[in-house]
Amino acid sequence: MQEKRKIRILLAKPGLDGHDRGIKVVARALRDAGMEVIYSGLHQTPEQIVNTALQEGVDGIGLSILSGAHNTIFPKMMALLKEKGLSDLLVFGGGTIPPKDRERLKTMGVGEIFTSGTDTRDIVNYIKGVLEKV
Amino acid sequence: MKSKKGLFNPDSIQEIRNETKRWEKEVYPREKERLEVFETLSGIPIEAIYTPEDTAKMDYLRDLGFPGEEPFIRGVHPTMYRGRTWTQRQLAGYGPPEETNKRYKFLLKQGANGINGVFDYPTLRGYDSTDPEAYADAGRGGVAIDTIEDMRILLDGIPIDQVSSSMVTCQPIGNISVQSMYFANAEAHSIPFNKLTGTSQNDFLMETVVAIAPEVLPPKASFKLSCDAIEYCTKYVPRWNPVSFAGYNYREAGCTAIQEVAFVIANAIACSEELIRRGLDVDRFASRLSFFFSGHNDFFEEIAKYRAARRTWYRVMRERFGAKDPRSLALRFHVQTAGVALTAQQPLNNIARAAYHALSAVLGGAQSVHIDAYDEALCTPTELSSLTALRTQQVLQLETRVTHTIDPLGGSYFVESLTNQLEEKIVALLNEIEGMGGIVRAVEKGWIHKAISSEAYEYQKAIESGEMPIVGVNCYRIEDEKLPIELFQVPETLEIQRAKLERIKKERSSTNVQKASDAILRCCEKDGNLMEVVVEGVKAYVTEGEVTKVLKRYYGIWNPPLF
Repeated sequence: MQEKRKIRILLAKPGLDGHDRGIKVVARALRDAGMEVIYSGLHQTPEQIVNTALQEGVDGIGLSILSGAHNTIFPKMMALLKEKGLSDLLVFGGGTIPPKDRERLKTMGVGEIFTSGTDTRDIVNYIKGVLEKV
Repeated sequence: MKSKKGLFNPDSIQEIRNETKRWEKEVYPREKERLEVFETLSGIPIEAIYTPEDTAKMDYLRDLGFPGEEPFIRGVHPTMYRGRTWTQRQLAGYGPPEETNKRYKFLLKQGANGINGVFDYPTLRGYDSTDPEAYADAGRGGVAIDTIEDMRILLDGIPIDQVSSSMVTCQPIGNISVQSMYFANAEAHSIPFNKLTGTSQNDFLMETVVAIAPEVLPPKASFKLSCDAIEYCTKYVPRWNPVSFAGYNYREAGCTAIQEVAFVIANAIACSEELIRRGLDVDRFASRLSFFFSGHNDFFEEIAKYRAARRTWYRVMRERFGAKDPRSLALRFHVQTAGVALTAQQPLNNIARAAYHALSAVLGGAQSVHIDAYDEALCTPTELSSLTALRTQQVLQLETRVTHTIDPLGGSYFVESLTNQLEEKIVALLNEIEGMGGIVRAVEKGWIHKAISSEAYEYQKAIESGEMPIVGVNCYRIEDEKLPIELFQVPETLEIQRAKLERIKKERSSTNVQKASDAILRCCEKDGNLMEVVVEGVKAYVTEGEVTKVLKRYYGIWNPPLF
């Protein structure tokens, strides 16, 4: 039987927002669920994140934003990914993102937005659901 | 020497012990317990009942005493809230300083008795609003400050010689510029430094452990900046608290109550040692070291935590540093209700949560309190949510009469026993950090980072297993909930800050700016007190970002361990 390649996920925190408890918890939960996780730490520009995604050959990118800067950062990310021919990459996010903005981000191609109070098992199931189907 | 008698007659204790055994064997098992394990949030087992036996070894005069006297466990002031109630210090800050100034005035008019300024992410991290790394976050999470002109606008019309200000500057790298601007602005308004009262956060763990990011200042440099500000205030701004050890933020990142207290005290020990090394007497600065704690969910553990922190600090100051001034021995603290305990689901429930958090802070003897607004898991607080939080303080202070006696839970068998157990565990952890070479080494090694993120993960697992019920999240959920509140929109900030920065850079004297920047670099080279030169620099309209660039050029950058 052929060994299944592990799902590789890049988790990143764009901007200067320091609230990193959530993303670190998610990183450990994804690892415990058998994925390979690359966590960038804080202060990442969208350009740095896209470059890391390219270098690491990841299957998906998760962005955590609790500062309210999501409406600036997600569109920039999506445009950059398109520019680099990575439009197919799964992009999801989390943080303090109001419902109205969640819907708008999804129409731009962001797969899912997880907010405070999310069960990490739902995130795992979501990622596996999308990537294992492919 | 004070007496060392126990609290109770040994014969009575024996009798109580026998009777407790009988009750545990014959009466208690008649009914079944609801849970398999009863324990505090930090994992200390909780018994069904506590009796005099649990406190029998205590000596009242040595271990408890009286308010305003050693060991200060019953309160740091003789009259506590019978004399003066706690300061209602509601956090506020968003957008450009023009907007936050309005919110400060609103809160003061509504009865808040101190300002509590929170700064946006670029300001905390030492960037100007227009920096390519920063622009997306300008005005977010706090107010944007780039130059001394922003500080003037922020405080316009607020009598800072009468109202005390808390400056949530977090990291030393942001603090050094912001605090300098505050003092230089006071000087420009002819307010003498000895009239200024307030606190700045200035905690090096905030830069190197909490909210860690690549390319921050190395721990030793960040620690030096923190100590420079403390030394400066000790010499020139005697009523200012130049550091607030931010246990709150360590807790928000994942710490337990025990780690929260142990880490702040370890940090305060390191600062004290450094200041003594610089030639200051412990009683000159120790009374101005202040502490910042989180008010979390476990009501009694939090009360016991505040009390244990006071006794631990008293013992450290007395036994380790030989402090004599009672003000050096008394741990004073601010409490903010736990942001991490707020839920985005059914946000109005947060009003009840934060009220319980604040009640525990008050029963624990806090000097000032901030109550979180109900919408903080979703956005920056609106005027309505801020006002509701302030009113929650006022209800607690004016209607409940919890202020009428001092340390009302002192003598509770349970609370005293829990206080003793917490103190024991805090001291054990302090010894462990000491064994590693102190807090700066523990940070450099990444030990603290691991300790905190492991606790955060365990906490999340306890929620997901259902072991830790959170109303609205893992029980009593409302599916497809319609948000019952209005959300705050951060006002336009970047363009306003850009226009000011461009104008200031045109108008200021480039010779003076160059001189001031050179002075900062020279001060780094000769290991002088940087606060002294940065205060001069901001007067010449050197921006915060420009100060940071000089510091990073000299000290280099550090990539901390991420887990």
